[in-house]
Amino acid sequence: MTEGRRALLHSALALAAAGLAAWWLPQVMELFAIINATVYIAMALLALSLALVWGFGGILCFGQAAFFGLGGYAYAVAALNLPDTTYAIPIALGVPMLAAAALGYVMFYGKVSDVYMGVITLTVTLILFNFINSTAGEEWRIGAAPLGGFNGIPTTPPLNIPGDPGTPLTPEQIFAVAIGCLAGCYVACKLILRSHFGRVVVAIRENELRAALLGYDVRLHKLAIFAIGGLMAGLAGLLFANSVFVSPTMFSLAYSGQVIIWVMVGGVGTLLGPIIGAMLLQALTSWAGTLPEINPNLILGTVLVVAVLAIPRGLQPTLAGLLRRRER
Amino acid sequence: MTALLATEGLTMRFGGVVAVDDVSLAVAERELRCLIGPNGAGKSTFFRCLTGQYRPSAGRILWRGRDITGLEPHAIARLGIGIKTQVPSLFDGLTALEGVTLALRRRHGEREARRRARAALERLGIGELAGAQVGLLAHGQRQLVELATVVAPEPDLIILDEPTAGMSAEETAGTAALIREMSRDHAVIVVEHDMQFIRAIASRITVFHQGRVLVEDCAERVLADPRVHDVYLGRPPEARMAVPA
Repeated sequence: MTEGRRALLHSALALAAAGLAAWWLPQVMELFAIINATVYIAMALLALSLALVWGFGGILCFGQAAFFGLGGYAYAVAALNLPDTTYAIPIALGVPMLAAAALGYVMFYGKVSDVYMGVITLTVTLILFNFINSTAGEEWRIGAAPLGGFNGIPTTPPLNIPGDPGTPLTPEQIFAVAIGCLAGCYVACKLILRSHFGRVVVAIRENELRAALLGYDVRLHKLAIFAIGGLMAGLAGLLFANSVFVSPTMFSLAYSGQVIIWVMVGGVGTLLGPIIGAMLLQALTSWAGTLPEINPNLILGTVLVVAVLAIPRGLQPTLAGLLRRRER
Repeated sequence: MTALLATEGLTMRFGGVVAVDDVSLAVAERELRCLIGPNGAGKSTFFRCLTGQYRPSAGRILWRGRDITGLEPHAIARLGIGIKTQVPSLFDGLTALEGVTLALRRRHGEREARRRARAALERLGIGELAGAQVGLLAHGQRQLVELATVVAPEPDLIILDEPTAGMSAEETAGTAALIREMSRDHAVIVVEHDMQFIRAIASRITVFHQGRVLVEDCAERVLADPRVHDVYLGRPPEARMAVPA
């Protein structure tokens, strides 16, 4: 099968699976499970955004949670100020994308080295975490939206039916929207990577100097893929805000660190692996949280160490390799 | 007539070290020029200034009379300059065909770029490596894949930094023939120190020494110049014998 046909098949399968899950799961799952699943999907989308930026763009961003948090807060603030929450969507996508573009401009056009890029992205998310944490006072409000400090914005309104502000989406509908967003972003990533732009991005990951010597503007391509990653992380934040509510923990070190672990376990340089990795590890962390005698982070750390030693390339490449061997 | 590429008083300092010192040279359309010199002569620094990897401390670089000093490498490449680095700089995770296709995609559609990429690989005698992952190839083959990547877009000027490093004698002879052939349609600057290779391509030569241009002349006269022997090849045997013990 050619590469193009395989990508088409994967995209069709992803959309079909998403459609099936969006239709069937709400019928068999309880409300709590549906809300939980929506959170998982939001996190899987966050992992997908880093999978694109890190796995294909070669930019190890330690602060992907910054764009996740910005997306969530931008949505919450806009939704509280606008009559129709549908209008909050472009704001929730635009703010993190522009923030990523601004940060990317400083890093890529400033020729910051990879190590410092990690430090800068991590620092930015921690600054945002501390800033949002200290916005508890009444003076910290944007229009009708109080930022709420450590408590976040519990009054975050959900999305409504477009054009009908009086009818908010039910958790089941938000779950379906989330699945649609995840599948749509997966297909979009596939299309981006199949395009000439995507190929140049991968070539830059392989060898920046050679790409530049062929006439490709390395800084511009990196900036573009970083901004797309920021937009996708912002969409994840929007979905999270719709399933729970926004709070400073969205910017926390825990999220920034976990998303890197999800991508590593799933497989750097793959798209489906990080989605699966995010879902599996969240389920594992949730289950570990119910055990009174053990710290869930300890289990997560152990899983990471074991995964790095046992499947260094990650879940998807390892499983694909096993399947290929069986086919032969 | 305006030179294709010229430098005027090009200087590159690293702190107190002057690696390239007031170098002025001009390369005409379709000229084949060799830059030679012993290790540390400033050839590679000069190469990096020309290709935009270093911003010169002083002086100018002119492309068809236009000042291009300080342009980024991608902007210099877009002028129509093909650049091959000393250590093969390739997309190791891609196949040879994919890499060469990328070199052509800025100007051609996917299908035409692939066709031309295949032709470029064939021209270098490595058509059978089209589907091979570049990172797994031997050093000499990698050199050839990089040459194909550089030559494929038909640039006006090709700058090659030690194109035969790590190549077998046979591959070196083939590359010399290829460079002579390329110079019929393109200007070529070759930075080298393999004298067999320099003799084989027999072009005009600029000799670097301690960051400056020592001699610039045709191959025959440069190779016979005693100053070049002194700084680069070592003194001739009779001169050595004359040195008191």
